[in-house]
Amino acid sequence: MLRMNSVSKVYRTDTVETHALREFSLSVEEGEFVSVTGPSGSGKTTFLNIAGLLEELTDGSYELDGRDISSLNDRERSRVRNEKIGFIFQSFNLIPELDIFDNVDVPLRYRGLKSAERRRRVERCLELVGLASRMKHLPAQLSGGQQQRVAIARALAGEPRFLLADEPTGNLDTHMADSVMELLAEINAGGTTIIMVTHELTLADRAKRNIFVRDGNVSDGYGSDASPELHFASAANA
Amino acid sequence: MFTYYLKLGLLSIRANPALSSLMVAAVAIGIGACMTIVTVRHVMSDNPIAHKNDVLYHVQVDNWNPADPYQDPDLPPEQMAYIDAKALYDADRAFRQTTSYKTSRIIQPDGDDARPFTLDVRATTADFFPMFDVPFAYGAGWDRASDRNEERVAVLSWELNEQLYGGEDPVGQMLTVNGEPYRIAGVLDEWTPVPKFYDLNNNPYGAPEQLYLPFSLAVANNFNRSGNTSCWKPVEDGGPEAFLASECIWIQMWIELRDASEKQDYMRFLDAYVEEQKLLGRFPRPLNNRLHTPEEWLEYQEVVDDTVGILLSLAVLFLVVCLLNTIGLLLAKVMRRAKDISLRRALGASKSTLFAQYIIEAGMIGAAGGLLGIVMTWLGLRGIEQLFIEYDFIEHLVRMDWSMVLLAVALAVLSALAAALYPTWRACNITPASQLRIQ
Amino acid sequence: MEFGPIWRAMLRNKGGFLLIALQIAVTMTIMVNAIAIIQERSRNIARPSGLDEANTFTLVSVSIGEDMDNKSLIDEDLDLLRGMPGVLNATASNSMPLLQSGWSEGLTLEPGEGKSDSSSALYFADEHTADTFALNFVEGANFEPNQVEWRNHEVNDWPPFVIVSRALAEDLFPDETGSYVGKTFYIDDDNPVNIIGVVERMQAAWQGWSGLERSMLVPQRQDWNFTRYIVRTEPGYREELMPEIEDMLVKSNPDRIIQSVRSMDEVRKLAYLGDAAMIRILTFIVALLTVITGLGIVGLASFNVSRRTRQIGIRRALGATRPAIVRHFMVENLLVSVIGIGVGGILAVALNMFMVEAFALEPLAWYVIPAAMSVLLIVGQLAVAGPARKASNVTPAIATRSV
Repeated sequence: MLRMNSVSKVYRTDTVETHALREFSLSVEEGEFVSVTGPSGSGKTTFLNIAGLLEELTDGSYELDGRDISSLNDRERSRVRNEKIGFIFQSFNLIPELDIFDNVDVPLRYRGLKSAERRRRVERCLELVGLASRMKHLPAQLSGGQQQRVAIARALAGEPRFLLADEPTGNLDTHMADSVMELLAEINAGGTTIIMVTHELTLADRAKRNIFVRDGNVSDGYGSDASPELHFASAANA
Repeated sequence: MFTYYLKLGLLSIRANPALSSLMVAAVAIGIGACMTIVTVRHVMSDNPIAHKNDVLYHVQVDNWNPADPYQDPDLPPEQMAYIDAKALYDADRAFRQTTSYKTSRIIQPDGDDARPFTLDVRATTADFFPMFDVPFAYGAGWDRASDRNEERVAVLSWELNEQLYGGEDPVGQMLTVNGEPYRIAGVLDEWTPVPKFYDLNNNPYGAPEQLYLPFSLAVANNFNRSGNTSCWKPVEDGGPEAFLASECIWIQMWIELRDASEKQDYMRFLDAYVEEQKLLGRFPRPLNNRLHTPEEWLEYQEVVDDTVGILLSLAVLFLVVCLLNTIGLLLAKVMRRAKDISLRRALGASKSTLFAQYIIEAGMIGAAGGLLGIVMTWLGLRGIEQLFIEYDFIEHLVRMDWSMVLLAVALAVLSALAAALYPTWRACNITPASQLRIQ
Repeated sequence: MEFGPIWRAMLRNKGGFLLIALQIAVTMTIMVNAIAIIQERSRNIARPSGLDEANTFTLVSVSIGEDMDNKSLIDEDLDLLRGMPGVLNATASNSMPLLQSGWSEGLTLEPGEGKSDSSSALYFADEHTADTFALNFVEGANFEPNQVEWRNHEVNDWPPFVIVSRALAEDLFPDETGSYVGKTFYIDDDNPVNIIGVVERMQAAWQGWSGLERSMLVPQRQDWNFTRYIVRTEPGYREELMPEIEDMLVKSNPDRIIQSVRSMDEVRKLAYLGDAAMIRILTFIVALLTVITGLGIVGLASFNVSRRTRQIGIRRALGATRPAIVRHFMVENLLVSVIGIGVGGILAVALNMFMVEAFALEPLAWYVIPAAMSVLLIVGQLAVAGPARKASNVTPAIATRSV
């Protein structure tokens, strides 16, 4: 499903080069629920951006659903994002001046679906997250948990092959976080691949497989023993 | 606190230089367009003799065609026939009085290779100068005796004296006009009444005449009439005398009366005069005598062109566009700072302090726009001057005075404050901390 | 296209968009009315005077002494002028079309005092005037030399024949379908005059007069101190001849002044100075206004883009291509512009009705409205293009940044 091989990402400014990912390799099979954890600055977000085609990689290869991504142009990348990937963001990222219906409708419009088909899908997905009655509400009129459920509905509406969730419960209280996690588990059970980036280890436990990222690379297990010296040494190697 | 707001405003203006200059420019251009037209209108509709408005009167009597009024609805002629001008002048019933008309003469300057040239002349009477407070640089006007004796005396304009005598005092010297010697009695100081209120029939926005000669002399020697002449009845054969006896109108008559009772007396005198003439078979129309103050006369004659009115309406709308522009930009600015505002509110800023802050910022933009608007107005006036460059009196129509400068700044600040109201209201209604939540 | 959600989103942010719409509406109001006035003034300026303007000029001779023999002087001058190589013809008159000063008379169809039936500009003329003015006879004929008399200050007689412009003939005899030649009217109450010729076009001297096209030639020559000569040259000779002729006349008789030597181009320019200035002022206003409105749209669109940076990133993340983002802002502007020009159309017509009423302007031509609408739509789209392109460069990665 997703295959990253020796992916590197370097941010360059005039004076500084920052290696956010180095020789990062990962393979995720269809139907998996993978969590990606790691401390702040470990490269989690960069991984997410590259996996979600939000950023281009500097080096290495990335294959999504059997397709080499690195050679695609902007238009094709937009299309892949639209059709294959569903995004769930930490801050929900609903568009404040659109109502719930129009928010869920956004990716469907970019796909160019017919109006009736869009309506059918939006209504079905909102029902799935239990918010069909709030279609004409604005995001600001909903609670955080409800907003995140709308975001999930939006991610599902495109019927993507896999979901990318970025700290999906980061802005929610425990109760709401639980319900969102249950929803994700259900979706995964339906066959959708999920990659969830989080810094909360308890949450990561709910995934079927855990990846730990440190210094821009995959490290096995949770390895909380990373020493400052090692940290420094690998930075010096860069 | 005020200086703190000033500082905040300045900071905010400096933080968005492109936007702030766009707003200042929009206000300035709007003010410039508006004030250019307002200034021209102000000059054109000015009453240059306002300080004597309550004592001066233009005289009208209705000697026109019984079948057809001079002008609808039943208005008397704007000028006077010679018989009436002479009779009213000779009756001498006003404190001061003047009859005058526009003519032209040929000047032969001294010196062998100087070529003669024609110029505009006002044939008038002694009272013209004191009545209209005409300023003198040298000498003075002539007296009533000179009028009676048809003396060859002359008063020169400042420009003509510059041209002929290099600005030196020529009083007492002789000037050759159409081959005849005239004694120079005086030279005017610079005098450019706009509009030329004493003769609105002949180019009210033209330069005043350059030479003043006695009316009696001009009539006696049949000086040409270069202003408008209108007749409703054929002139009998018989040369100049027949013309002077005709009902043709071509003379402007003004009188000076010191108070209301003098005015009443004069009106009574005029009515009696016309009634008496009716017995002789003249004045076939109903009694229709009028005395107008300079201000009434300017209004009556509708000297300000419609064009100015059209331009003024468009210029005001132009300012509206510039203000809508400013409102939009201010609003955008406020909305972008919504977070900052809501934080301030959360930290305890009251609506009134926010209001003060934004209004002061808008006021600063208005003041800057106003100052720049004065420059724009100046440029606009220069532009209009260029368009009318062939019209050599234009420089007197595109002057700015202090009242216009003040009006420009006041209009700019007021406009900017008005423009700031809606955005400020929106800013004040941002609830505390509402924007601190995740969007 | 996504009109629906864009429209609904705009409704939730009315203030800002309403301001642009209003600005476009008022801009359109001014633009339409300014163009209507420009058109009217241009039509005024374009009216032909009837003269061969490109090859005609005029000058004035003023006698200095009161006892000058003006008749001989005029005859001598005209002989000199007509004898000059390159001169087609020359005449002396009191005035000419476009001059702004002249002589007018009320005319009646019955003798006696009463209300005038028409009025006309009057040019004193000899048998050369018609040719010098390049008049085109539609019927009748020119004066014979023996029909032309002298006129001085002593007499106020009128000759029995005149040549009239067609507009004057039509105004005097509106019901006549046949020939105007031989018709009689009265000048100065009871002097009968016969029309012996009708010319296609000869303007009066005052371009602001409602009777501009009504004029007549009177076969009299003025024995006055002040004589205006009108000279028509062969094509291309005017510029060269003007100074030569001035010089020749100055030298021919020192007891008079030659002044106001002007080509018809200068005379026309002076006559239409106000109209020409109005056209340029209004053109400038329209251009400036369009630029200001354009800049206003650029400014507000830039703000909208920077305010909605995150939203743009989200849209990009959800699959919007760059062109889709550009389109989003273009559509938004289109909707605002359509409201603006819709309201503007109504306001423009209202202002025009007011101006027609208050300033006696002509009503505007219908096509000015769609033309102004198109211009403003295009200006709006051009103005928003820059900020929209900037918006399309927002990285989708912004969506994963924490707020």
